Amino acid sequence: MDEGLVTPVGTRRSFFVKATIFLSSLIGFSLAVPLIGYVISPALRLKKTDWVSIAKEDELPVNEPQSLDYTMEIKNGWAERTSTKAVWAVKRSDGEITAYSPICPHLGCGFRWDRQDRLFKCPCHGSVFDIDGTVKAGPAPRPLDTLPAKVENGELLVQYQEFKSGLARKVPL
Amino acid sequence: MASSLYRWIDQRLRLKPIEQTLLDEPIPGGASWQYVFGSATLFLFGLQALTGMFLMVYYVPSTDHAYDTVQYIQHEVWGGWFVRGLHHWGSSAVMVAIGLHMLQVFFDGAYKRPRELMWIVGVLLLALMLGFGFTGYLLPWDQNAYWATQVGINMVSSVPLVGDFLAKVLRGGETLGALTLSRFFAVHVAFLPAVIVFGIMLHLFILRRVGPAGPHDEAKAKSGSETFYPRQVYMDAVVMFGVFVAVALLAATVEFPLADKADPSDHSFVPVPEWYFLFLYQLLKYAPGPWGPLASWLFPAIIFAGLLLLPFLDRHPERHPASRKVVVGAGMAFLVLVFSLLGVSLRDLYAVPKRDPAIVRGMALVEKHQCKSCHRIHGEGANIAPDLSYVGDRRPEREWHIRHFKDPASVVPGSFMPKLPLSERELNDLTTYMLSLKSENES
Repeated sequence: MDEGLVTPVGTRRSFFVKATIFLSSLIGFSLAVPLIGYVISPALRLKKTDWVSIAKEDELPVNEPQSLDYTMEIKNGWAERTSTKAVWAVKRSDGEITAYSPICPHLGCGFRWDRQDRLFKCPCHGSVFDIDGTVKAGPAPRPLDTLPAKVENGELLVQYQEFKSGLARKVPL
Repeated sequence: MASSLYRWIDQRLRLKPIEQTLLDEPIPGGASWQYVFGSATLFLFGLQALTGMFLMVYYVPSTDHAYDTVQYIQHEVWGGWFVRGLHHWGSSAVMVAIGLHMLQVFFDGAYKRPRELMWIVGVLLLALMLGFGFTGYLLPWDQNAYWATQVGINMVSSVPLVGDFLAKVLRGGETLGALTLSRFFAVHVAFLPAVIVFGIMLHLFILRRVGPAGPHDEAKAKSGSETFYPRQVYMDAVVMFGVFVAVALLAATVEFPLADKADPSDHSFVPVPEWYFLFLYQLLKYAPGPWGPLASWLFPAIIFAGLLLLPFLDRHPERHPASRKVVVGAGMAFLVLVFSLLGVSLRDLYAVPKRDPAIVRGMALVEKHQCKSCHRIHGEGANIAPDLSYVGDRRPEREWHIRHFKDPASVVPGSFMPKLPLSERELNDLTTYMLSLKSENES
């Protein structure tokens, strides 16, 4: 060291060193917690689907599948928009209502109800389903995907969901 | 563990000499609390860079979305209000730190030979920081951002010959809008950071080449030096921590609210610039008509020229403030001027008369009875019935309004305005609001 240049030694030196490390760690920690939370918070947000009313229960014809509009508010961070999907609903003679996702479980096309043949048919690859959703023909690996549905105060409420296509099991996206 | 890892790296990269150069820098006269301002500025700059990067995670620089994304950060992102608060208060704190740093260097005569270049680079860094402040202020795209930037750009356009062209370059055309926002964003987050990082490195490089100035007292300076590490580093850390706690407390307790979304048609909005531009804003008020350009560009230009040339104007080697009466006096006079202007400006801002509560109730009635589905007030509302923006000028009589609200057709034959079911008090409140809609109440 140069002449005339002094530096603290011993416990005095170690106090300065430790205090510096302590204070800078405190700053680092106090910043790290909010900043990390700020970035990861969207990943921790639970995906929640609302029950949406899509029809009056008594207006649904028995054993005639209906394509109903399902309008939902989609909040993608700060961007908000409404999206309308079609959902199939079938009311059986005992009053039980089944709602189907409009997407074919084979590869994700939209299927239709054929009134003449009384079958759901997918135009893309020819999968055919019975009114209860079972596969009658074609490459579909599983029955039509049912959606959570309930009737409350005379309204049919449905939760829209999408499922992975092409699998034998129904796996939500 | 940590030390054996360091040894392993050191054996390969030979870090010890660099470590010694960095840490054993001699400080003439020893470590001192006077020398912490530069480090505090650097720390706050780092905090701004860090919080700024995090704000960019959610911010979108478009006139359609900027305001929504800032609202989203403020109200919905976890910790977003705190990160935005740190960035907002940090921007003020960094200006305070720069001010104190410059004052210390000024009064200590530390800008003198051989440190002229360090001072000049420092003044350029100040200009860059003001550029950060000016460009960043527009980004939330609220009314304040929009109109304060409008004023700032109009000041630039007062520069002779090239002013209009410069203003167009700043705006990206004739009007302040989408192109302005994206270029201000690019300058704020890419161009300025790139330039300033280089400037800061240059400032520090020069510091290491010429060494710290030390005390202006010759005897004290010659009494010996102390290593930068650990005592000066410790002092810097204590101050950085104090500064951090202050900024974090401000961010946590004083919310910086957003005004309404920018509305280019609403000329009634009175913008307030950041406090570090307020003295200039105030000066503009004292420079009427043709004198305006003196305040809007000549004065700032003279300040900057004076700061840049200071080491060449004041060349005497004497550093003690008591022996530099002219320069120190001029500096003091400048400070008194700036702080008086700032004080007057702040007093005026807080002296803005609080709105008459009857007017506020009247405004609420306008909303409640949906008057704006036919009438327009300062650009808001439909254009079916007469515009009410200045109805107080056209119809200054209270009686007329009361009769009109009770039965519009009785004073305006053929009026299709419905009779409003208002109580006496409501009639009076609504009338008070109508009478307040005068051009003289605009500013």
